[in-house]
Amino acid sequence: MTNFSRRDFLKLLGAASVGALASERVLSLKAADSSKPNIIIILWDAFSARHLSLYGYPRQTTPNIDAFAEYSTVYHNHYSGGNFTTCGTASMLTGMIPWKHRAINYDGLVRAEYVHNNPYTLLGSDYKRLMFAQNPWPDRLVGQYYEDVDRFLPPTAFSLFEDSPAFFENDRAIASVAMSSFLTPIQGGNAPVGSSILGYMNKSKVLNFADEQKSPRYPKGIPEAMNMGYMIPYLNEDVYEGLFSELTQLEANGDPYFSYFHLYSPHYPYRPRNDYLKMFRDDGYAPASKPIHPLSVGLQQDYLNGQRDMYDRQIAQIDEEFGRLIPRLEESGVLENSYVIFTADHGELFERGFAGHGFQFMYESVLHIPLIIHAPGQTKRQDIHALTSNTDILPTMLSITGKETTPDMDGRVLPGLGGEVDEDRPIISLVGVDNSAFGVIKKAVIAMRKREFKLIAYLGYEDSYKKSFELYNIEADPEELDDLSDRDTATLSAMKDELMTYLDEANKPFRKS
Amino acid sequence: MKLLKLISERMPDSKNILAVYAFIVTLVYSWTLFTSFYKLPSWLFYLSIGQILSVYAYAFSFDLLESLIALTVILLLDFTVFLFLKNKEEFQSRSMILAGILLGTSMLRLALFQNYEDITAFLSGELLWWAIAIPLGLVLAVFAPRIKLVRTIFEGFAERATVFVYIYIPLSLISLVVVLIRNIN
Repeated sequence: MTNFSRRDFLKLLGAASVGALASERVLSLKAADSSKPNIIIILWDAFSARHLSLYGYPRQTTPNIDAFAEYSTVYHNHYSGGNFTTCGTASMLTGMIPWKHRAINYDGLVRAEYVHNNPYTLLGSDYKRLMFAQNPWPDRLVGQYYEDVDRFLPPTAFSLFEDSPAFFENDRAIASVAMSSFLTPIQGGNAPVGSSILGYMNKSKVLNFADEQKSPRYPKGIPEAMNMGYMIPYLNEDVYEGLFSELTQLEANGDPYFSYFHLYSPHYPYRPRNDYLKMFRDDGYAPASKPIHPLSVGLQQDYLNGQRDMYDRQIAQIDEEFGRLIPRLEESGVLENSYVIFTADHGELFERGFAGHGFQFMYESVLHIPLIIHAPGQTKRQDIHALTSNTDILPTMLSITGKETTPDMDGRVLPGLGGEVDEDRPIISLVGVDNSAFGVIKKAVIAMRKREFKLIAYLGYEDSYKKSFELYNIEADPEELDDLSDRDTATLSAMKDELMTYLDEANKPFRKS
Repeated sequence: MKLLKLISERMPDSKNILAVYAFIVTLVYSWTLFTSFYKLPSWLFYLSIGQILSVYAYAFSFDLLESLIALTVILLLDFTVFLFLKNKEEFQSRSMILAGILLGTSMLRLALFQNYEDITAFLSGELLWWAIAIPLGLVLAVFAPRIKLVRTIFEGFAERATVFVYIYIPLSLISLVVVLIRNIN
């Protein structure tokens, strides 16, 4: 008897969907309403624009994304609102700067009064709406308005775990806090598992299962989606097959649809397939040497370079998956009436004695994220060099679908898709995990990009870092090596005043009168 | 018939079962409350009071389920593994020793191996931990209750712990209703 694996099943499902689609394609295309285009967000977690060959990275990490960009709009200066998943994703989904949406803590949620600012609610029921996040944090964020999601896949979908029955679907956000952060987490955090019997059994089962997953194709281990609550082993091959299958099914349905795929790779742990393990080895590339930052943990440069190599290999491997996916979507007609938004929630950095994201660092590698948008029928590349923010994604989506925006949003319609370029626009990013979501922001690192300059403000870090402000000219010094704060005091003062005015305004609702 | 007679002879009265359940409830709920205090400061950062109470509703509902599972396992053990022990007087302390060792091992392991860095240690030592804890629990459960002082200590504890049943169980039933309401469409 031949073995029929889960992967084979996914492939068969994909093929069957294409088959079904082929017969319905004419009907579907006839029914396609260009005023209601489909929107597909493909988001890679922890994917820094600074590691794409498309944006000038010396390593050829992303030949397939580069090819996709040739018939898409490429945003060269796109920034995330935050430097970790919850904060960055909430900015994208709400169109708001973190100091307003307030999902600023690692496990955080969007403030109740702003929850309705999201693509699922605002696109409305005339769209079929799908959500899939391998990372449980965005799953939790969207769980705040689960009732507006037509198909809500669990983080374990397309993973090596067998599908388990879903519990607490109608209280997804709070149940997720209770279960994955408290009662039955697998690892991480600063506390033991809260449930002594079921929590223990779950932890033991999941860790043993993850540990048993071995494949000669993955000598460094199977990729795992992991945060405090989870440990989900998965293969990118299966995830992309699943993504294709979902999209072809939506397409076959004929209704306009919105789908958001928050994919975990290239997030840590970097575990590329064996055919990528030697890539970039001894290729002569040496990243710029940067001084150890006083706030960092002081990791050695050799270690950082090793981590960077693994990260780049992971990117190269998923670029291959992306390269397989796009032509298949094209052939199956999915792209004909769809905007494909390819982006990230935040970046990753390997410098100044630190590796990763979600720390107090707000340097370019962790905030500068890719944004490539393919519009239906677009055949030529368009390059946008204006500064843009991931808070612009939601207003842009609403604009192209003819839906109403809300006055709460900070984001604007993207240039190239109907929006205007505003040279004087400041782009704000914030990390403030040490603040209450319900209070004044006192301790935070805030970055403000404006024109060629970038100001980084360290608020409340006087004890550990004497310097409260750093100022860089990003166009002249993209590696942020030359801090101008002592020399260009006029620019520093003007940007500082502007940022503090914005912050003061943002803090107003939280001040006790 | 012989087995039924044996079971009826061995069947502890409801007061004894309640005492054992009180001990289990005390352990299970105290553990959850203890671990929640680590989490509470961060919850206060991003959850409203209503949301925090909802998290506790999930926790108490879980604890209710767990305490009932634990009691069922203990009773099953008493009517299988310990069927040969005819001394009803020892039921309370025997069951409490078993519950204490099994739950204690689980809690200790959860406390010792919390983080990503501890995963290897958690997995590699797991069999050994249980290979020691289970026989130790069984042996102690057979022999320790024969000592009157041990029985007195456990019975005294159980008597005082009964109050927790009257606090936690109604709270858990309310929690269960809250969880159900939150999950009704």
